[in-house]
Formats: sequence, C-alpha cells, structure tokens
Amino acid sequence: MSAIKVEQLEHCYDDRGRTVTAVDHIDFEVEENEFYTLLGPSGCGKTTTLRCLAGLEQPTSGTISLDDVVVFSSRSVVPTHRRDIGMVFQDYAVWPHMTVFDNVAFPLRVGKRQSSSVIKEKVHEALELVNMDEFAERQATQLSGGQQQRLSLARALVRQPKVLLLDEPLSNLDAKLREQMRKELRMLQRRIKVTTIFVTHDQVEALSMSNRIAVMNRGVIAQVGTPREIYQTPNSEFVAAFVGATTFLRGSYVGPASTPGFVRLETGIGALIAKTDKAMVPGEPVTLAVRPEAIRVTEEENLNPLTNSISAVVDIGLFIGEAVDYHIYVGDELIRVKGSPHSRFRRRDKVFLEIPPEECVLIHTPTSAVESPLDEPEPIFDPTVEIV
Amino acid sequence: MTTVLEPPAVAPPPPRPRRQRTGWRRRVTARSVVSTITILVLLYLVLGPLIMLVLTAFEDTSGGVVITPPFPWTSQNFIDVFTDSQTYSVLWTTVEFSVGALLFAFVVSLTFSWLIERTDLPARNTVFVFVVAPQGIPGVISAIAWSLLLNPTNGFVNLVLRSVIHSKSTTGPLNVYSLPWMILVQGMALVPLTFLLVTASLRGMNASLEDAARTSGSGFGTIVRRVTLPLLKPAIIGALVYEFVTVVEAVDIPLILGVPGHVTVLSTQIYNASHPPIGLPNYGVGSTYGGFLLILALLPLIAYNRVVGDSGSYVTVTGKTFRPKTQKLGKWKPLAMLFAWGYIFVAFVLPLAILIWASIQPYISTVSKEAIKRSTLGSYRKTLSGDLFITALKNTLILGLSAALGSMVLAVLVSWIIVRSRSRLRWMADVLAFLPHAIPGVVIGLATLLMYLLLPLPIYGTIWIIVIAMGTQYVSLGTRLTTGGIAQIQRSLEEAAEASGARGWQVWWRVLLPLLRPVFLNGFLLVFLASIQNLTLPLMLYSTGNLVMSSLIYTRWDYGDATGTAVLSVVMTAITIVAALLLRRSSGSRMGS
Repeated sequence: MSAIKVEQLEHCYDDRGRTVTAVDHIDFEVEENEFYTLLGPSGCGKTTTLRCLAGLEQPTSGTISLDDVVVFSSRSVVPTHRRDIGMVFQDYAVWPHMTVFDNVAFPLRVGKRQSSSVIKEKVHEALELVNMDEFAERQATQLSGGQQQRLSLARALVRQPKVLLLDEPLSNLDAKLREQMRKELRMLQRRIKVTTIFVTHDQVEALSMSNRIAVMNRGVIAQVGTPREIYQTPNSEFVAAFVGATTFLRGSYVGPASTPGFVRLETGIGALIAKTDKAMVPGEPVTLAVRPEAIRVTEEENLNPLTNSISAVVDIGLFIGEAVDYHIYVGDELIRVKGSPHSRFRRRDKVFLEIPPEECVLIHTPTSAVESPLDEPEPIFDPTVEIV
Repeated sequence: MTTVLEPPAVAPPPPRPRRQRTGWRRRVTARSVVSTITILVLLYLVLGPLIMLVLTAFEDTSGGVVITPPFPWTSQNFIDVFTDSQTYSVLWTTVEFSVGALLFAFVVSLTFSWLIERTDLPARNTVFVFVVAPQGIPGVISAIAWSLLLNPTNGFVNLVLRSVIHSKSTTGPLNVYSLPWMILVQGMALVPLTFLLVTASLRGMNASLEDAARTSGSGFGTIVRRVTLPLLKPAIIGALVYEFVTVVEAVDIPLILGVPGHVTVLSTQIYNASHPPIGLPNYGVGSTYGGFLLILALLPLIAYNRVVGDSGSYVTVTGKTFRPKTQKLGKWKPLAMLFAWGYIFVAFVLPLAILIWASIQPYISTVSKEAIKRSTLGSYRKTLSGDLFITALKNTLILGLSAALGSMVLAVLVSWIIVRSRSRLRWMADVLAFLPHAIPGVVIGLATLLMYLLLPLPIYGTIWIIVIAMGTQYVSLGTRLTTGGIAQIQRSLEEAAEASGARGWQVWWRVLLPLLRPVFLNGFLLVFLASIQNLTLPLMLYSTGNLVMSSLIYTRWDYGDATGTAVLSVVMTAITIVAALLLRRSSGSRMGS
C-alpha cells in the first residue's frame, strides 16, 4: 500500500491563448512515512505537482490518491479543505492578524467541533514539537523568519495529517539557519512518522534529507532514486548536472578492458577506462559524467593500468576554503576538479589527472528524450551559485 | 498521556468524494456562484441605467416617458440637439469651464506640493492640513459661500468694496455669477484632492533621481523641468483625468453660480432638460445631452490609457525613500509664505467665516457694531428644530451608511474576482467596476431616474433610489482601494487556510475579511464622506420624500433663505469635517486618501 499514488498526472494552463503543459503525465508512488523529494529547477512542474496534491490546483487529467482515497480523478474531486493534509508554504503564510496560538489552533477550530481544552492541549504539543511553546501568546508578526517557519510547521502538523506537503520551506531562511532546519525537520519527520513530500530546487537539501528523490525537468520526472543513486549514477546529463557540478566527456566505445565489468573508451581527453555493465558495439557514441571531487590532481603519472591518469595543464586554481577549485585543460577540454585544500598547483603547471574508472559514469544515449541541461538558461552547474 | 501527534489508532472514515457527473457541473462551486451573482449585480447596476439612457435618447418623450409599448422611437432628439446652436455654445462653455478650473487647480496644487515636499517653507505640516481642509466643505456649500461673498447686489466683499470706493452703484464691482469666477471657485474646490494626488507621488518619488541630476551639474530650474515634472507626468495626467470627470459631472457650482448669470454647461443643461422650472421634463433631450457628456468624459480617459496605460518605465515609487535635500527659499521665503497663507485665507477661512457670519445675521451686511449687536442664534434654533432638517439629517445618514456599506461590499467581492478568481468573467468585473468612474454623476443620476420610472420597483422617490445611484457611482472608488488591499494579501494566506481544512466561507470570515478590515473601513469612510457631500445625485433624483442635507441646502438657497442656508451649511460642514478627521485617523497617515 502506498501513501500517495499519482498516475498520469497532467496539468495544463492557458497563457494568453497558448496552452502550457506544466506537468506532463507523470506517475509516482510514495511509501508510508517516506520522505520523498521533488527536485528540479524553477518551472519544472514540481510546485504545480505539490499544489495538485493539495488541491490548490486542478489537474487537467490523471488520478491522485492520498492514503488510498482517490482525491482527484476524472470523476471526482475532493476539495482542499477535506483532504487529510498539512502544508508548509514557501513564504510560511503565517496569518498576521492572529497570535501564534491562534495560528496553530486554526486547523482545529475550522474542523469538527472540539472542546477548547483539547484544542489547547494539541496546540501546545504541536508548538513544543517545534520548540515554540514559549511564544504561544506572541503576535505572529513579531516572529523572526525562522520562528515563522517553525510556527508554520506546527500548524501543518497539529491536525496529525496523513500527508505533509512542504513547498520549498527552507528557501527563505539564511544559510546558517537553513542548515540547522534541515536537520531538525528531518529528525522531526522521523520521530512523528508522517509521509512527507518535499519540494526544493536545492540539491543539497534534497540529497541530505530524502529517502527518495524524483528529479523533475520540464514537466516530467527524469529520474527517481535514493540520494546515492541520483548522485552517483545519474541517468542523464540533466540529472548529473543538476545534482552537482559535473564534467561531461563525449567519446565512443572501443572494447572491453582486461578486467570484466570495465570498458575502454576513446574520449576528447584520450583513452579512458570506465565501469559499466552495459553491452555496446565498437564505435558506439557515449557520454561520461565525472564529478569534480572524484578526480585527483597529481604531479606524477599513475602507471596502474586499471586507472586513468591523464596529462593536463592547470588554468587557474581558486582557493575556496574547504577545497581548491581547479580549472584544468586537457588539450582543449576544460575539466573542473575539486582539489585538496593543501594542494598548491599554479597556472601553467603540468599535472596528471587521476580518474578512477568507477567514478566515470556512463550516461545513457545522448539522444534520449531528456533534454540536455546545456539548454537551460539558469546557471545550474555551479553548486556555489544560489539557484532561484 | 499518549502523544497527540501519533497517528490515531482507528483511522477516521475517508472523506466521500463529491460526485460530479458531467464536465460543466464540475465548475459549479460556491466560488463561481458568488462570482456570477456579483457580476450580475454589477451588470444590473451599471449597464441597466446606461441602456435606459441610450433607449430614451431615441424616444419621443415630449409627452413624458412612455412605459408600455408601443414606444415612440424617433431620432428627433438628436436633430433637436444638433441643430440647436445653443448646444455648441454650451459645449464650448463646458470646455472653457473645465480646462480653466483644472489649470488653476493644478498650478496651485503643484506649487503647494513642491513648497511642502521640497523647500524649507516654515510650518509645512500646518500648511498641508489647511490646504487639504477645504475637502471637508461640499461643493454646494462653497458655491453658496462664494455667492454670499461676491454676488453683485449684496455680496459681502462687494458691500465692503463699494463702501471703500464710495460707489453709489447698487451692484458690483465684482460678479461671481460669471464664467471667470465660476472657474476660480471650481478650481479652488479641486485643489485639496489634486494636491493630495500630486503630493503623494512627489513624496514617493525617489529623491536620488533628483540628486543624480544635481550631481550631474543641473541647476534648480533644469531639475524641475527635465527630471521632476517628467517623472510626475503619469501622476499628473492620472489626476487630471480623474478631476476632469469631477468637473464636468457636477451640478453644484454651475447651478448656484452659473444659472443666475446665464452661464450654462452640459451638466446644468441635462439637469434643466430633466428638471425644468416650468413644463414637462424632456428626458429624451436630456439623455441625448447625457450621451454627449459621457463621450466627453470618456475621451480623456482613453487618451490617458494610451499615454501611460502599460508604461512600466514610470515606476518611480519605492518603499524606502529619504527626504531629499530641501531647496532654501532664501529671499523668496516671505513671498512663498504670503502665497500659502493668502491662498488658505481665501480658499478656506473666508468661505467658512462668511457662512458663520451669515448664519447669525438676520440679513447680509458688513461687519459693524450694529451688525454684531444684531447677531442671534435664533435661526439655528428655528432651522434645526424643523421637520425638514430632521428628515434630511436622517436621510443623509441612511444614504451615507447604506451607500458606503453597499459599494464597499460590492467592491470587496469585485476585487476578489479581479485579483483571485480564475473566472473567465474577470475582465468583465474589471471593466464594469471601472465604468462608473468614467460616467459623469449627472448621467448616472438621469439614467437611474429613467430606469426606476420604468421598473415596477417601489423605490422611485424614496431615499433608496439615491442610495442605489450613489452606490453605483462610488463602487469604482471602493474597488480601487480593495483591489490594492486584496492584492497585498499574499495568496498563500488563503491557501494555508484551505490546506488547514477551512471551508470557503471560513477562509473569508477568519482570514480574508479580518485582514481587509483597515482597507474596508478606510473605503467606507471615504464613500460615506463623498456620498453625503454629493449634491448632483440627490438633486437629479430629488422628490419630497428623499431630501438629504445637500439637497435641503440647495432648495433653501433656491428659495432665497440665505440665513437658513448658512445655518445648514455650518452644521453640514461640521459633520463632514468630523467624518474627514475620522478618515484621516483610519488611513493612519496625513494622506487622507
């Protein structure tokens, strides 16, 4: 039994006479108590999907079930207020004309009648859960961003919903607070056990918090998997690029390597050995994805035949504290490397790049339906750039 | 104690999905029902009278309005209007009158705005209050005050002037019953609102834009000409268009000052055709003139939309501005102060003083020892204990409260449709709510009159017909406020309520309305104030059963009871100034609008 089941969900809207498909027939299932993340750039349809689950948007077609209750199909619609959900909004949506207590009590007061002592007890428990009990009598407008965030979470949880929907809840917090809330939110979700859908564009949030991630792009799900699967074996250039900085290398298949499970490739930076189970014919075009932190910069060539060691020239090394961000050329090919903070290579130094074969990820055929991230206007390659 | 947040042992029964069989029925929700009803009400209120106006213009009404078929269709009204040479002189007078008054009002308002916002004029805040204060004096009352001051036979100023120059003449030397004086009086009546509109944008204007010009080496004159005025252009044009409708729609000043001097403008022409002193009203001709006026009022509006309609390049208003460097007036300071206080004396102190003086005098005279001895509060006692006054006061309250409540409730609903709903009728709500703003009041009055002559609703001749017309007229004003108000409420606040399990009405009652309360209150007072000051509609829809303060004042004046009129005017001004003070407090700033 899955807590959330989405089948063939489609959402189109009309933009000055042009029909835009925000969500294009997607399917996914979320297990009970799972922390499931929809990750993608802005405009990929992740928020629309979440709003369809909440009933704030009406899908064009498809079926949505929450906790085995069909809440949307071509035959029936359950309005938002009768869905068993709690939701946290990007801007918190804390009601400014109420106190903290009244904000949290709202879902109980508008629901079926309960005695005020029961309401009081439940509100205080929810506030304790997010360490906000002492602020109960404050006016909501007197809270800081982080406190409003907690309040919003308490409000979403006070009804003990079957499903918790989080729409980029951390994106309005400053970096330090965000890191802290990441941990708190995840621990809280584990403690109270509630099926959670989390929408974000931040790959660090997605990787660190989720049980599973669905990476979305242009209205479709590009890949579903655990954080490790998504990061280590992306199935497309888009996913590889979106969940972290990546260097892509084009090349072709040459033949099997001496060790089973490894293959020899010819690429723009020379002959490489990569790990794959895929059967290929010689000459078949391939794309390799290599993470910057997978590469080591060395002064001497590694002669081990089961590793790749390639002669290169440093273009620039930028010391960023925990690492050195090297831009290194192999011929005309630019490769980003995250080097040790103790390394001190300079411009024009001749070095060797050591790329372990198991870190060379073969991306599926470049002709796949998922479009190349290179078309994306946003600077999504650089993990240090905030994606808005 | 078990933790409440653990999932309950027994799952609650799943909500039953609402069955909806056919495609169109899915859209029938409480939201769409409310939207549809609101739009129908608007259609009825706005388009109903307009259709009546057009139909009547094509009807022979010389024998009265025909209310059952067959209708005597004719194009005679148009022939009459077009072949009458008076039409063209009236049209020309209307243009002269409105352009002159607007010119005066804008020159004065811009000067005051600049003096208060950008110079070191002493006591700027006091000057601000006194420039805005005449807004509390209804147009009808200021016209009467000026008539008391400047009428050729016994106008106070004329009496003084004649005794100063030892003139033996029994009239003059000044005559307020003439176009130049009408322009001046109307112009002064426009200043408070114009000033508020202009000064708001001058204050909101980022001062660094001017500082940038200054650091680029521009002198004072160049900055005003090349930077300040061009940046204010949209605000000035917007205010111009708004005030233009205000000038052409009103009957107060043209009736009181124009009729005795035989100066006729379109609004008085319409009033005369539908309320002739003798004989039957000719509603057909009145409607034809009404159509003219409607087009005249719409033209600048269309031009305005073309000039600044979609121009985002004029966004100069920012939240954080600091007060710009003030211009030192230096040796011009005495002149500036003379201008400011001289204007305040003429536009505010003098009219109020003459009203108070006239209300305690048995007849108009100059100030002298004997006259002061004659002073009496007797006419207050007499006028304020009369049945007419009590009825008018009661009706005024009914009118103000109902019109304000009605138009604000409608405005909130309309704004919600415009801002929030995904209804396909959204554009319609937008247009319909905006239209009354462009329809001159005298036209709304005539059209409403015609409509309820025909419809078998028992409101003709009651206060409610004025309430309906007034509510229709001010729904635009209300919508302007509430649309901004709702747009400022983040949508997610409503969505959060829905996601918390609140039904549609609970979202309204617990979230939307409490958040809108300040805007609603502000709009309510604004419409209340405008409604009780308005003479045009009560006069167009006048009958003995629906006397309000403004129409009572006018009829007393028309009857020749100067003292009684003055008493009523003083009382009325006191009421409106109290309402205006409440308004200022409710809007929480010294803006007042």
